[in-house]
Amino acid sequence: MSSAGRSTKPLSQLINLLGRSLGQIQKAWEPFIVDFAIIATTWILITYTYSWFTRGPELATYFLVPWWLFLIGSVEIAVLWESFGVSLGHTLFRVRLLGADRRPPTLRQAVVYFFGWHISALPLAGLLASPPLHERWSGLRFHPLIVDSIRPRPWYRRSIGIYLMALFVVVSVAAVGVTITFQNLVRLFSDAYRVAPLWRALVNPNLAILKDSFSDLIVTIFMAVMATLFATIIAVPISFFAARNLTQGAIGRTVYTILRGIMSIFRSIEPIVWAIVFLVWVTSAHASFAGVLALWIHSIADLTKLYAERLESIDEGLMEAISATGASRFQVLRYGVVPQIVNPYISFTLYRFDINVRMATVVGLVGAGGIGGRLIAYLSGQRYANAGTVMLLIVVAVWAIDYLSSRLRSKLL
Amino acid sequence: MEQSGHLAIKNLTKVYERGQVVALKDLSFSVKKGEFLVVIGLSGSGKSTLLRCINRLIEPTSGSVSLDGVDVTSLPSSRMRRMRRGMGMVFQHFNLISRSTVLTNVLTGRLGYTPVWKSMAGWFSKADHELAMKSLERVGLEEKAYVRADELSGGQQQRVGIARALMQQPSLLLVDEPVSALDPATSNSIMQYFEEINQSDDITVLTSLHFLSLARRYGTRIIALKGGELVFDGLPSDIDDSRFKEIYGEEAEEVEVR
Repeated sequence: MSSAGRSTKPLSQLINLLGRSLGQIQKAWEPFIVDFAIIATTWILITYTYSWFTRGPELATYFLVPWWLFLIGSVEIAVLWESFGVSLGHTLFRVRLLGADRRPPTLRQAVVYFFGWHISALPLAGLLASPPLHERWSGLRFHPLIVDSIRPRPWYRRSIGIYLMALFVVVSVAAVGVTITFQNLVRLFSDAYRVAPLWRALVNPNLAILKDSFSDLIVTIFMAVMATLFATIIAVPISFFAARNLTQGAIGRTVYTILRGIMSIFRSIEPIVWAIVFLVWVTSAHASFAGVLALWIHSIADLTKLYAERLESIDEGLMEAISATGASRFQVLRYGVVPQIVNPYISFTLYRFDINVRMATVVGLVGAGGIGGRLIAYLSGQRYANAGTVMLLIVVAVWAIDYLSSRLRSKLL
Repeated sequence: MEQSGHLAIKNLTKVYERGQVVALKDLSFSVKKGEFLVVIGLSGSGKSTLLRCINRLIEPTSGSVSLDGVDVTSLPSSRMRRMRRGMGMVFQHFNLISRSTVLTNVLTGRLGYTPVWKSMAGWFSKADHELAMKSLERVGLEEKAYVRADELSGGQQQRVGIARALMQQPSLLLVDEPVSALDPATSNSIMQYFEEINQSDDITVLTSLHFLSLARRYGTRIIALKGGELVFDGLPSDIDDSRFKEIYGEEAEEVEVR
């Protein structure tokens, strides 16, 4: 019965191939990215500290060499590290590069691996094969790391050594940090008098603008309401296709991967950036509409992730029990899934509304409607008493909504 | 009805694709109407998989299951759902809707008989409500009908599970480790409900159990699984010390539960 299930349709073959090579890319690149990041960060730290001391703070530079040389250098050092040594990336992902029968790599194998990596893994093409081409050429494979408990650990792996290393790293980072920012730290306190007028104005609010500000505040809150409402309407159905446990089979898995990918891209772009995009798109004549769109798109991405993660942790026993009564797919959804997610969904929505109220002010700062625009206008016009009034209003509103939503959410759990 | 029995299992095999684990190996046996069949064996011996292959919550790899002469394994999914109505199931961890009332939980036993659009709105017929109250009466929980399911004790929750299975008016009851999450005294009272259902309704009961003492006391017949294979099929009284060690391994010792 199941032998027929292994169909040889070209589409599913293609999807399988894509899935496999995605896995290969992930396996080969995860440790590499870690190693690359470590080397690049160390490089920047060293060159910056060095140039700060030799050239002085004004001329301190990050690379000392052209940026492309820095990039290529970091990549090469990372690959050298992985080919000829035991890299931190490999250790982090619990793998070791070993030959057949877990033999340590010979010099020849390491050299082949190093050059092979440039031809196979760097342009990604060699990762379509399984095992990847550079692993095939060199005869080296990723083997799971087996910790040998009989051999005594080196001093830096014993608990005291780890603490000493951690202490050393923290102290040196702090030392570098303080050296670089010391002057700014002094200025933070010595120039405090500059903000005195602002503080003074904050406690002397201008009540004349209260009415106009209040109507802007209502606009801001309604921006958040609209964005949350429409984001919920879209995110609820989408979340079912973005939950790993509910998307099975080649097509389901593809939909899942694409949806999660799009959502994480949308989420990584801040609402303020979306606001600028939409201000250009729908023109600034519809400022608050642009603001709603910005919050809306970010909320969809955020809520889909939260909802889907909740779906992924539901108790499948209940679904099983409902299925066992002879219920149809929709009935299983209604009685096996929905009761487990209703309250968390409402709670997430309220939480997102909370964020949206605050974010609506922020997107207003770039001109996307609401009270944020008023605030930035007062601040840039140095009318601090007015700005203070607006700030107080925002604080009160945000606090009230925050309080209400957290009270409601604690009732739901 | 043919002589081979009410429920017939032929060459049933289940291989989990991941890791190529063989959970059931070429299993064949049949069950007569009205039997109280207990499946024993160590954890991981395939008891749960066997029960779930019968109502196809788990899809068997090969072999067949037939109930009253109907080949269950080859049914398309819509007819399979209708088939499941006749097989009630009770679970180790009760699997109730914890936020809903006991009554709602019991009513879900009627989902297979209720039109989808009605059940979406949570409407069940008056007859279903009456049946639900009757089922709750049978397990002695009629007073708890409007209490939330998660406010009940473990034993009470399992009784709700039994009432839900009764709502299906099944001819076969599949019971998966019903008392593993309960204390010994409660275990016995739960097992007595199954005994009563088995005897007065003539419902065939197929249950997996951890404790041999309970299996001996309630089973009319015992089968034992080891590594997915049938290693014993006979009367409870036939299991002596050497049989016991065969099933559970050399180091095992019997624990009494009263």
